[in-house]
Amino acid sequence: MVPCKRARVGHYKESRVFSRTPVARFLLVVSVAIASVAVCVLPANAAERPTFTVGWSIYAGWNPYYYMARSGILKRWADKYGIEIKVQRFDYAASLDAFVAKNLDACTMTNMEALDMPAASGVDSTAIILGDYSNGNDAVLVRNGLSFSQLPGKSLMLVQKTVSEYLFERGMVLNGLQDQLSKVKLINTSDSDIVPTFLSNSSNQAAVTWKPLVSEILRDKHVTSIFDSSKIPGEILDLLVVRTEVLRRPDGSGERFAKAISGAWFETMSQMAAGGAANQAISGSAAASGDSVESYREQLSTTFLFSTPRSAVDFVRNPGFKQKMDLVRQFCFQHGLLGQGVRSVDDVGILYPDGTIHGKKERVRLRFDVTYMQLAHEGKI
Amino acid sequence: MLWATFDIQAHPRRSTAHVLSWVLFILCIAAYLRVSEVRHRENSEDRVTPSSAQLFEGIRSSVLQPAEEDSEVVDNSASWTQRVRHSMLWKDTVSSGRRFFISLTLLVPAVLIGMHIGLFPYVGAFFLRFVLFFDKIVALSLLPILFIVFGIDEWSKIMLMVIGVAPTMILDTYQMVKAVPREQVVKAFTLGANNIDVAYRVVLKQILPQVINSLRLNLKPLVLFLFAGEMIASTDGLAYRIAIMRRHMGMDIIIPYLLWVALLLYSVDLALRLLNKRLHPWY
Repeated sequence: MVPCKRARVGHYKESRVFSRTPVARFLLVVSVAIASVAVCVLPANAAERPTFTVGWSIYAGWNPYYYMARSGILKRWADKYGIEIKVQRFDYAASLDAFVAKNLDACTMTNMEALDMPAASGVDSTAIILGDYSNGNDAVLVRNGLSFSQLPGKSLMLVQKTVSEYLFERGMVLNGLQDQLSKVKLINTSDSDIVPTFLSNSSNQAAVTWKPLVSEILRDKHVTSIFDSSKIPGEILDLLVVRTEVLRRPDGSGERFAKAISGAWFETMSQMAAGGAANQAISGSAAASGDSVESYREQLSTTFLFSTPRSAVDFVRNPGFKQKMDLVRQFCFQHGLLGQGVRSVDDVGILYPDGTIHGKKERVRLRFDVTYMQLAHEGKI
Repeated sequence: MLWATFDIQAHPRRSTAHVLSWVLFILCIAAYLRVSEVRHRENSEDRVTPSSAQLFEGIRSSVLQPAEEDSEVVDNSASWTQRVRHSMLWKDTVSSGRRFFISLTLLVPAVLIGMHIGLFPYVGAFFLRFVLFFDKIVALSLLPILFIVFGIDEWSKIMLMVIGVAPTMILDTYQMVKAVPREQVVKAFTLGANNIDVAYRVVLKQILPQVINSLRLNLKPLVLFLFAGEMIASTDGLAYRIAIMRRHMGMDIIIPYLLWVALLLYSVDLALRLLNKRLHPWY
């Protein structure tokens, strides 16, 4: 206070100098605040055990991550390996963005997005857990009993450039209508609005979407499902993908993370498969998306969960697996999902457990690694 | 001496002011290039912050190459005008632009309603409370209802924009009318004007420059609603393409699109500003 008073009576030049003091004080306060925040935040990470963040989004096959974290299963496995694992729910698109931006260490995604988001953006990714495949969760829905051959010339509502479009194209191809594909008018419709939008107007003829939205639309008696993912089993896979650089951390913490999460996952899966009316794992996973147990069980009935590590390993090792991935990567390339500048489908390479590669050897971006599932099977984790 | 630069009474030279006005642009571009370069050094295929070469390639393909849905219509031998007309940027701009200008036109009645609410007590009694309340409804949440009423084609998107922005325009116009001195209205009547004369030749004429300025401020909400509508259900448009590109992080297309939208909006704003200057030099 004193300098200010003096300033008022002091001569011109002096008053100028002192008039700066409130500014200086303000700057001081701001810098102290920033410094104290920095002091609080920085060492918190440094001293503790290595921390890994897993992103997941609501889907029948991923909801168990919520139960796994809530029930303490994950904590037990993380403690065993001396690490910290955080599980965070995201919107699907946002989780992929966060993974590509390297804000997440691991993330749940389908095989298609694994290829066209992180892998195609040059983020070397490794799928360590094969959780399930869509066995009817995704469906092509039509009004008034239309068939595939009647769809050309009509409009179709779906989220473009996702597994929905893939499913639709596969349906057309399997019905021998490949050359008619471009005659179907696609309306890109957000999944959050597709149900009311499709149902509101009976002039909307067809839609492709996934559960639980499918179940909501099918309540309308005029709507039927003409094709679903159970007709292309194992092509729409749900994975847990880790950044390869995280997995290969020199201190080995990435590998410990992979072991811990695989162990926790398959313990959860065995609980899910155990059956019984009061299955904690199922009710806990249903709670993840606010579904009733009944509705969640209905979604699980069209989700092929790999309940044992053995079944998942066998699936990936099966020669048919590569053919399915080849269909997916060709789809991604034809739709420009691998990037504008990518001239060849081989520019985003995929490595399989037996060492074979789809695409260029020096451009491997997506790896299927069954090591940790195998260890889980052998009981070595 | 230095502190004198920041005086309220300072007179920067024209050239200095010009240079200063570009500083932030240059800083932003430099910061972007720096981040992009760092990310590319780490991962040469990074798509989150495309390099200038990637951006240039993105611009080229969005302006000169046929859009995905038109790739069969145009072959490589087509002249460049034909290519541009089938390019995604052109097609998207045309369809979004149409929606934009239709809803802009539909805002004219909103201004007139606002003026009548402010001037005619019975109209005011009828509309004002409803508009005040309706203005507070979050237009986006009405979307499912709009889809039911207007279908999923053009009109639901246009109505979303109109419903989102019109109440603001109505209320803003109402305030401007209220700010016109009552004496003027009374004077006009004593000089023999009728209701229409007072409304359109005394009041509307003098609030018009403010209305145009208010419209300029509302351009952004208008585009925001346009984007929301196009992202939720559409087959073309600028936001449609951005939504599609987002699916595989096509930032090399998205960033040029965003800059293009900003440029378009800036030009509409500039046009309105010049129009205002021309029509109302007294304002």
